[in-house]
Amino acid sequence: MSVNKFKILQDELDKYVNIPVELQWDFAGKDQAIDDYEKTIIKEVVGNAKDFEIVRFSHETTPQLFTDINYEFYFYNNQLPITSPLVNVANWNTSYLTTGFNVQQIYYYENSFTKSFFKLDFYDTPNETTQKNYFSVIIPTQQGSTQIGILSLFVPPVNIKTPIFKLDFVGDKEGFFFYWLRENDYVNINKFFMSAKFFDARFGTFVRMTNRAQPIILPTKFTFDNSKYFYYEVTLNYTNFTYRINDILSSLKVGTAGQPIKWYEYVNP
Amino acid sequence: MIENSTKIILGKERFKSSVDVDTFVNIPVEQTTKLLNEYDRSVDIGLESLFDDERQSCTIFRPSTKYTILFENAYTGSTNYPPFRNNLYYTNEILNSINSFPGGNVTAIPPFPPVANVSWDGFPQYFEFDFIRTDNNVIGYTKPPNNHINFRNISANTYNWTHYISYPFENDYNKQLNFYSGNTNISWTWVASTGIPFIISIGSNLNTNIISFLSPLKHGLNVSEFVELFDNLGQPLNYNGNNIFQVTSLGNNGFNSKNYVFNIANVGFLGTTFQTSTLGFFKRIININNIKETRSEYYVRRHKIITEQNCTILTKTGFEQNIFNSRPKYEIYALTPLQQFRSSVKEDSQSYTLSFNCDIDVSKYRDNQKRPLTQLFFTTIWRGYFGWTRNMKQGWEFNIPLAFNNKSQPWWDLLNSLSNTNINQLNYNVGPIGPFYYNDTLASGDTIDGDYCEWNNYDQQERVISKYVHKIRYNGTWFNVTSNFLPTTNQYGYFYFPHSPIQIREFSNYVEEGSSAKVIDIPDWAYFSQLSNSFRWRDIYTYGFIDEEGIGVDYPFLNGKHYPYINTIFRIIPENYNITSQYIKGYQQPNITITTTDPTIDECE
Repeated sequence: MSVNKFKILQDELDKYVNIPVELQWDFAGKDQAIDDYEKTIIKEVVGNAKDFEIVRFSHETTPQLFTDINYEFYFYNNQLPITSPLVNVANWNTSYLTTGFNVQQIYYYENSFTKSFFKLDFYDTPNETTQKNYFSVIIPTQQGSTQIGILSLFVPPVNIKTPIFKLDFVGDKEGFFFYWLRENDYVNINKFFMSAKFFDARFGTFVRMTNRAQPIILPTKFTFDNSKYFYYEVTLNYTNFTYRINDILSSLKVGTAGQPIKWYEYVNP
Repeated sequence: MIENSTKIILGKERFKSSVDVDTFVNIPVEQTTKLLNEYDRSVDIGLESLFDDERQSCTIFRPSTKYTILFENAYTGSTNYPPFRNNLYYTNEILNSINSFPGGNVTAIPPFPPVANVSWDGFPQYFEFDFIRTDNNVIGYTKPPNNHINFRNISANTYNWTHYISYPFENDYNKQLNFYSGNTNISWTWVASTGIPFIISIGSNLNTNIISFLSPLKHGLNVSEFVELFDNLGQPLNYNGNNIFQVTSLGNNGFNSKNYVFNIANVGFLGTTFQTSTLGFFKRIININNIKETRSEYYVRRHKIITEQNCTILTKTGFEQNIFNSRPKYEIYALTPLQQFRSSVKEDSQSYTLSFNCDIDVSKYRDNQKRPLTQLFFTTIWRGYFGWTRNMKQGWEFNIPLAFNNKSQPWWDLLNSLSNTNINQLNYNVGPIGPFYYNDTLASGDTIDGDYCEWNNYDQQERVISKYVHKIRYNGTWFNVTSNFLPTTNQYGYFYFPHSPIQIREFSNYVEEGSSAKVIDIPDWAYFSQLSNSFRWRDIYTYGFIDEEGIGVDYPFLNGKHYPYINTIFRIIPENYNITSQYIKGYQQPNITITTTDPTIDECE
């Protein structure tokens, strides 16, 4: 039994009894909040859509607004055994004739020539034990500058292709653009290490390329740090969608007309 | 009906040794629902519904188009500026050669020096109009020595044209417009909001049972709708104080004339109000009892550029070409100013793909009626960096047909400042020679004019009356195409339509109506009708929904982005050569008696 402890005495003032009216408010929009939370959780569980779209990168512009990228591929002429101490840089030159093609094969675009190609592979690291090849670029042999070739004594000299490439927006442009992910939410890499191989369709073989001719590779022409001599460094610029290629050893920009990217056939002993 | 298969019998009656026992009927109480705690939720995630959720909520677009260029190299001219002269597609090479080498040019004889400053005749080559220039190795033109410019390959796709994405963001009601009729010397000058011009082709003075109005633009009217008439000065065209009349019929027997001719009943009008050849303007009214809300508005919509020029990726479309062949020509050395063999190209047929490096997020934009964007526009602008042209002009499709005596409409005259574009014109010199003019590139946020349109609040619909057009013409200083019968300030040129729309959403083909007290989720772009005391709007269809009339959009959604695509035919139209189809089929001059009857099948067939 509850006892009323209040005693109301008569005086000259009005008296009041305060009756509490309890209000227990709920959160407004709680249902909607739960729905939103539900969506958030579903997104966590399922994950966001990944953007696999690629975008093209062109070669970085020089201050003179030139955009061409220049490659020179040097083949070993085999005049001396590679183990010979007399071998020097002059034993590599930029001609398909050096690697064994004849003028007819090159001039008449025989399959053995046109099916041969240069392949540039782009890795995330030059460390060959952990690297992944993320994309490749093919440079066909039908592109490139020319040299004089003799088909026979009875016809005038002809121009035949050489492995010297000047790629740009106009003209030879196969291999000029690199295509890589537009967003970095799937794979966040904007620096690659580029290696080169020449695939020879005559024999179904390929040769690797180094960034220096073997005679000047240190410490020896057969024993060296692969990560330094088999790669160039490629940096993608997402602001203006360009790429820049640096020499790994010197860290200098290469690829311009005055400073072409040079690849030398690597010959095993 | 459920058959009762239960039979209750006394226990001992069941078989011989059985005894009486109590029997029970078990009545199951099945529970198919379960009480859920308030915060326990289980959600079924379906791939299809999840995809659709993501698709409907996404506002980011990656539009692309394939451009098919249709171009006829129509105007020959002459030039003695060496870089231009040496790279023409020659049309009068024998005479030009005789003038240049009057002493002969046989190499066996000591050649005589050519006469300097002899002009050569021909067409500028197709490179001058192509989307991507490939003439980067032409000595004396794009390559030293004595070249016109130092060609930069990165600019190969911006020397002639630049490309952007734009959207209409506001209306210009005060744009000054002008139209000149062809065979007669009739003209209308008006501001956009005045309405659509007309001339009375059958007036009350002819005592027929209709008054017939001929409009040079598609009128957009339906039978039983109303027109509010104004005179040629924009003042109400009153008859007994009334200037609103009901449309009783359309057309006049001429093919496609329904789009250009409307008629009102001649109830015995007197006086000169509706006399034949009276000029004026009209506005469309849907409901005479609700004039204020159902009267159409007329304006020029303005576009805002939302991409930078360097976002553009323009590439050749593989082997795709238009149906017209390339027109190359081998120039014989003796018939060239430099005495060299070379090939020249008059027309070509390459198609191009246009896409953009940057994504378009439309959530932050509203269109010119303050609604969410349903259209984006590929905007292509003539740049003409090589300097062959000068003073680009703007107008609308109705300005394309020739005016009196086969002359260009005076709208295009260089002295008419109303047809100037707001695109900056820059220039440069080549050594002491110049200036060579070209158009500046646009940047995100820049604005340019667009189509001439009609909007009706009650109908909640916009109609393009006439498309926006640019006219480019040669700079006579460097390439003279002057035709003597044309005014020197108003020579022929080429037209092109800068804006090509791509539909990214669709409004419904019906108008929703409801009051805020009864309907939820009324969109913010709804129009409040005071007469019906309710909101009116058109719904936006969801992505992937196509209604029974084929209205809707359904294009790829992947990578969390929309990928709308459209094929675009980009026409570069020579003046006096190609006339857009509507002017061939539809609008006829008022003094021509139209006798051609409608075909019995529609024009598609």
